[in-house]
Amino acid sequence: MSAEVGEQATLDALEAVAEGSVCLLDPPERVAGSRLRARVEPADGEALAGCLDVLSRHGESVLVMGSGTRMHWGNPARGVSVALSSRRLNGITEFDPADGVIQVRAGTPLSEVSRRVESEGWLLPLDSSGAGGTVGGALATANCGPRQRGFGPVRDAVLGIDTVLASGERTRCGARVVKNVTGYDLAKLYVGSLGTLAVIEKVWLRLKPIPACVHQVERSFDAVEDAFAQALAASRRSSARAVGLVAEPPSVPGAHPGPWRLLAEFAGEEPTVRADTEWLVPGGAPGVEGEGIVEELRARQVACSEAGLHARIHLLPGALAGVAGRLRERGAHLVVYPEPAVVHARFEPEADDPGPDGCDGVLGLLEEIRGAGAAEIFIESLPAAASGERDVFAGAGCLELMRAIKGRFDPDGILNPGRFAGGI
Amino acid sequence: MSEKFSNPEAPSPILIERLSGVVGADNCLSRPEELFAYGCDGLTLDAHLPSAVVLPRTSDQVAEAVAICREFGHAFVPRGAGTGLSGGAVPLNGAVVICCSRMQSILEVDADNRLAVVQPGVVNAHLSEAIRHLGLFYAPDPSSQQACTIGGNVAENSGGPHTLKYGTTTNHVLAVEMVLPDASRVRLGSPTGFAPGYDLVGAAVGSEGTLGIVTEITVRLVEIPEAVETVLAIFDEVPAACRLVGGIIRSGMVPAALEVVDQRTIRAVEASVYKAGLPTDAGAVLIIELDGAACEMDAQLQRIRELAEGEGVREMRVARDARERTLFWRARKGAFGAMGRLAPDLYVHDAVVPRARLPEVLEEICAIGDRHGLTLSNVFHAGDGNLHPNISFDRRDPDELARVLAAGKEMLELCVRVGGVLTGEHGVGTEKRDYMGMLFEPADLDAMRRLRDAFNPDGVCNPGKLIPTTRACTESNPKARGYDEVPL
Repeated sequence: MSAEVGEQATLDALEAVAEGSVCLLDPPERVAGSRLRARVEPADGEALAGCLDVLSRHGESVLVMGSGTRMHWGNPARGVSVALSSRRLNGITEFDPADGVIQVRAGTPLSEVSRRVESEGWLLPLDSSGAGGTVGGALATANCGPRQRGFGPVRDAVLGIDTVLASGERTRCGARVVKNVTGYDLAKLYVGSLGTLAVIEKVWLRLKPIPACVHQVERSFDAVEDAFAQALAASRRSSARAVGLVAEPPSVPGAHPGPWRLLAEFAGEEPTVRADTEWLVPGGAPGVEGEGIVEELRARQVACSEAGLHARIHLLPGALAGVAGRLRERGAHLVVYPEPAVVHARFEPEADDPGPDGCDGVLGLLEEIRGAGAAEIFIESLPAAASGERDVFAGAGCLELMRAIKGRFDPDGILNPGRFAGGI
Repeated sequence: MSEKFSNPEAPSPILIERLSGVVGADNCLSRPEELFAYGCDGLTLDAHLPSAVVLPRTSDQVAEAVAICREFGHAFVPRGAGTGLSGGAVPLNGAVVICCSRMQSILEVDADNRLAVVQPGVVNAHLSEAIRHLGLFYAPDPSSQQACTIGGNVAENSGGPHTLKYGTTTNHVLAVEMVLPDASRVRLGSPTGFAPGYDLVGAAVGSEGTLGIVTEITVRLVEIPEAVETVLAIFDEVPAACRLVGGIIRSGMVPAALEVVDQRTIRAVEASVYKAGLPTDAGAVLIIELDGAACEMDAQLQRIRELAEGEGVREMRVARDARERTLFWRARKGAFGAMGRLAPDLYVHDAVVPRARLPEVLEEICAIGDRHGLTLSNVFHAGDGNLHPNISFDRRDPDELARVLAAGKEMLELCVRVGGVLTGEHGVGTEKRDYMGMLFEPADLDAMRRLRDAFNPDGVCNPGKLIPTTRACTESNPKARGYDEVPL
């Protein structure tokens, strides 16, 4: 049997278990290193389980995706020609405004959930760094935007997850309650696993109350030491919800760089917000209207071009200034969050230096930073020419243990093969 | 999981000798009178003597002890201070106990980066005491914090009264060093809070010592809040106190703690050395603790007062100083001790329900207790929906013991029926292992088994816990196990 005949048999079987969910792609689409010939979009959990059962029995790997806004994350997939999208697993299944919890299907757009919960006085604490994402995508990528300081990491918002394993078995972990130690916390394992362990069907989320008062302000600093000292102190104010430093590289190497801009959003009880704002900008500062500060941070965080390189570097707060300074000198456009301490460094190729050589130089510097200790690096975007066999999960440890986990959850390597750390 | 490590027989003297060789004779116990104290944790109904107890002081010693246990085909059980309440540290079938309570060093405090590195035997409260001068504290505060260890807290993902605002242990552990069941050592997580790959720290915290033995922990430290206000809201009935909890949560305030003490508990406390001056005719007392910036305390107190008045509060008391705050908390923290006066034994249950269901669930829980003729009282983390129905009883009365167990099962069934779970902070251990089927389907439990088997493929590390097996069902069935034959 030829590969194409085998593939057709798989697609026919998928159509049989999830009628109307198979979409042939002609010409094939190139996504995450794969040449996709078909996309399957099951509309409910049963159809999703049926699809995975078929794929598993046919030994057909899949590229798992939500709305596709973060498909450039992770390593390229290996040997995949079918995508499994959660896009049609859409909608809010339960919302308890009295308890501040909500259950939503994985393919539900974050914006739709936010609108719904905000109408009842709650906030969805999934602060995606980009627009258009789904709840399932936010969980699979553990994607955090500027408000991680106030919202906490993605894992903190997740109470329970219904998943379908590679075998097609439907499973559940956690529950709708806000405190729970009944069994292993598998939800922690699934969050950030890039869909390599299971496919998320729906999820219980914990909401946060809408704060009584929000104020956004900006300050500039010429001296790097002042900028980082003040940013960290601002981040530790009790109403800090988003605090970031942004900086552009020097216009020419060696030139005096421009200022460090400190963008801050304080949210909470009015007296505290007022006091924290006054502390940062004594004498009062004109507030920034609407979501301006957070929108700017968010836009800068995801602004990487296809030819650019975007590295996310997790550090201890005390190491931020030194690392950020080195990266800026090397030509990085920076967004720096002081706590948790994360540097988003974006390198765009110069007109006369577009190739992988420049990229290699940057990667070498990143490796140096990682090697110096207490720094963890994830390459969010890498130009295709530079990707090759490079693992974007730089220096991931415990690979043997992670492979053992992958082997137990997805023994045939059906889900997103090759996308994760160490080629998992 | 294989059942290879079942230890049906007494350990060989050579095993004891080898273990002693690693930790020294003073740190290896094998005489029955020495082993007796390690036969159970805080769930004293479930006791099984270990073959030996090893008390290492270093990670190397833990790894060597594990390697020796493996060599002899002997299962082992990690243990902290033994304050757990679900039988997680019980050495079933004569397993060797590897007790980390002598690994008590605070290895590093980095105030600038707000983290500390500790050995697993560091007592929870000792860490906060050691860093208070830096204006920092370690937030998870289980009721047993004066005795329980941080290693034990990691195993159980312990919470405490201040979980509502600060989260549980999992929110405060950045990285761990772990000795795996094959005696190798790994570092999970990163002090930065992000490690490329799966969230192995998230999986390990709360795994009840079934994935390996944690030998070093990097924890996040939190700034001591500028101001704290502690309030007692005294009500004629429990449902009104619960409604106030819901109102506070809906209002957008996030108090540090919202704890309810019911009338039966108030009476026990007021008749004990923990007396806090509470009116014994009150139906319930809600302890509300606010913390944060000093400038927001007055406005929040005023809003709470208005909400409480809307629920018909009888009286509000605001602690005037630290001494009075401590007094208020005595009613909560001394509750378990006070109940010790009521009967020889106390069964502390632990379950969670959606917060909005608290009033009806509590009413039904009291009805279950009454129906079984039991002395039941309630102290609970109302802000989290985390119930602790406490049953005072005498295990020497087999009939009463049977009623205690039957009532406990009914309470869990009730909590699950309304969307709740079996445990919010005590863990599954042996106590609730065979009730897991109330909440989870076989495929859900199988997914948990997949995780366990990735770390602990042959089941040598803490066998018989957390996930039910056919064999375990027999072991944990109270009648088969003979609870009533446990020596006093």
